[in-house]
Amino acid sequence: MFLHNLKYELLSSLRVKDILIWLILFPVALGTFFKIAFSNVYNETTKFDTIPVAVTDEAQDQTLRSVLDSLQEQEEPLLDVTYADKEEAEKMLRDKKVNGIITADGKLSLTVAESDLRSSILSSFVKEYNSRQQIIKDCIMRDPSKAQDVIASFSEETASLREIPLSSGNTDYMTDYFYNLLAMVALFGSITGLHITINNQADLSQLGARKCCSPTPKSISLAASLTGSYIVHSICMLFSVTFVRFGLQIDMGSRLGLVYLTALLAGILGVSLGFFVGSVGFLSTSVKIAVSTAVSLILCFLSGLMIANMKVRIESICPWFNRINPAAVITNSFYYLNVYDDLSKYGVCMITMAVTALVFDILGILLTRRKKYASL
Amino acid sequence: MDNTVVKIENLVKRYGQLIALDHLDLEIKEGEIFGLLGPNGSGKTTTINCLLSLLAFDKGNIKIFGREMTPVSYDIKKDIGIIMQNVAVFDELSVYENIDYFCGLYISDKAKRKQYVEEAIRFVGLEDFVKFYPKKLSGGLLRRLNIACGIAHKPKLIILDEPTVAVDPQSRNKILEGIEELNRNGATIIYTSHYMEEVEQICTRIAIMDKGRKIAEGSKDELKRMIRNTETVTIEIIGLSDDVLNEFAGLPHVYDTKYEDGKLSVFCSGGKHNLIRIMDVLRKNDLSFGRVYSELPTLNDVFLEITGKDLRDKED
Repeated sequence: MFLHNLKYELLSSLRVKDILIWLILFPVALGTFFKIAFSNVYNETTKFDTIPVAVTDEAQDQTLRSVLDSLQEQEEPLLDVTYADKEEAEKMLRDKKVNGIITADGKLSLTVAESDLRSSILSSFVKEYNSRQQIIKDCIMRDPSKAQDVIASFSEETASLREIPLSSGNTDYMTDYFYNLLAMVALFGSITGLHITINNQADLSQLGARKCCSPTPKSISLAASLTGSYIVHSICMLFSVTFVRFGLQIDMGSRLGLVYLTALLAGILGVSLGFFVGSVGFLSTSVKIAVSTAVSLILCFLSGLMIANMKVRIESICPWFNRINPAAVITNSFYYLNVYDDLSKYGVCMITMAVTALVFDILGILLTRRKKYASL
Repeated sequence: MDNTVVKIENLVKRYGQLIALDHLDLEIKEGEIFGLLGPNGSGKTTTINCLLSLLAFDKGNIKIFGREMTPVSYDIKKDIGIIMQNVAVFDELSVYENIDYFCGLYISDKAKRKQYVEEAIRFVGLEDFVKFYPKKLSGGLLRRLNIACGIAHKPKLIILDEPTVAVDPQSRNKILEGIEELNRNGATIIYTSHYMEEVEQICTRIAIMDKGRKIAEGSKDELKRMIRNTETVTIEIIGLSDDVLNEFAGLPHVYDTKYEDGKLSVFCSGGKHNLIRIMDVLRKNDLSFGRVYSELPTLNDVFLEITGKDLRDKED
């Protein structure tokens, strides 16, 4: 009986065109869009790396020059400095050969042609330089013996702010969008899950009523429908991960087997969520579909599908929500898997997903089985 | 030996203040084609849904095959075939797959199921459409598929809830003939409809429902005997005077007359030669007239006389 139900559940599900569109074509389209959009951002970012700047330093300040030289000698130089007199510097600025003019006249001052990210970086540099210069001057005036210590502390501070990679994984925040895309595909499984209850409850569809008249126990019918939906949605999830990883060439880390496993569990969670929403008795079918779609999209929004640092904002306001938001748990699983060598955080996410899916399933079955309806 | 298949006692179903079923009692015997006749909203489908244990009810008792019906009465359900008012099939499955699916909910044995499915396809005449998907079928063929899905497992009790709604005459006849054949093959049938002609044509016993109550029950002849009308004579005639109308009303066995839109209806109760006496009045007064016809009472007349309103809705 179970296999008979499962066979036809699979057959009918695989022939639904909506599944092809929403669970396969839509992620492909959105993922491709993300990839194109972020490729442009990456290109822009590369241009920010080195900022051409003209420096007018008639007094030939050696301290300034050594600082500027050090900034030019880095592996990824922040500044490309051209020493020039005032007129020449202004001409370069007009010709847009440089983004700004740093004038050394006791204190540094900055002239820029337009306000943008590069001018902001130059402004920060000038402010920081002036601030530290003033601190050292003040120190020399008050207690010259401490000057060396102050200069040394600047060096230590700089060292302490140096980025130390936590792992060899991909920490690029743009990848989060693709994790969120996969979370969205997983949660779109809620629509599939919703149709399990629609097709099995007499008050939601004629088909449900017809099934309820048969001698097949509802638990068997539900179990077959759930299994069938899990299988179909798992296929969609595997396809999505494969497309993101190999089609779009997104670095998802070296543990691809676990990435696929995460995607499967995420898909199961999505289907179970829809199954539970569908089982809540007092909502009509159309309301349930609307709620299911809205919940999926809102959860993905709060996990950062549309705004990159949304999850960080949520973390600062109500961190517990990120622990239970299925979309956040799914994206975190992918992130932890990619970034951390240690699997403990990843494991917590996987357990959270499994337990949540199980709770949704149990509640859904309890709410729908052995039921007479008040109205049909 | 008690051959009662369905026994409904004192069934009450309320939707808030509205009483959908008002202390309904029904008893359906083995081998009957039992008709539940009533206008839309009279409680026919509610009765069926309560019978199938889909719908919770406020009061009463339902037994099928002598056992109480509950949502988990799987041993009872396996012997019931249900054809819902609205077609309940999978759009994504072909005709064959749909019938096989529903048959498989009752029959586990694959070989037996295959045989049953093929028999059901032949029975409803869908041999040429087995690979079609429901969306490609006409309304009549879709109804036939719905029936095949409901009867493929050879149930002892078949419930058909308005199976001919929106069906072309050809498919309707095929469906009605099929129901009679199922009955001849041993199935007990419960047939709900608001088409009185269908119920008259196939049902061996009929319960007429209105506002959740059973207002009459019996064979079609028994039901017709419950009312005063035995014959209605209708004459197309123009410019009938009140004097002549009174003359018709005064004829023996005539209990009522109605003259409307150039049509005179003379309602008779019992007696013979009513038509001859009416024709004599026409001849005596030298009246020109068009068509004259005599009709025996229908179930609509039964309903009309008991409730004071027509059985059919205006749109039907």
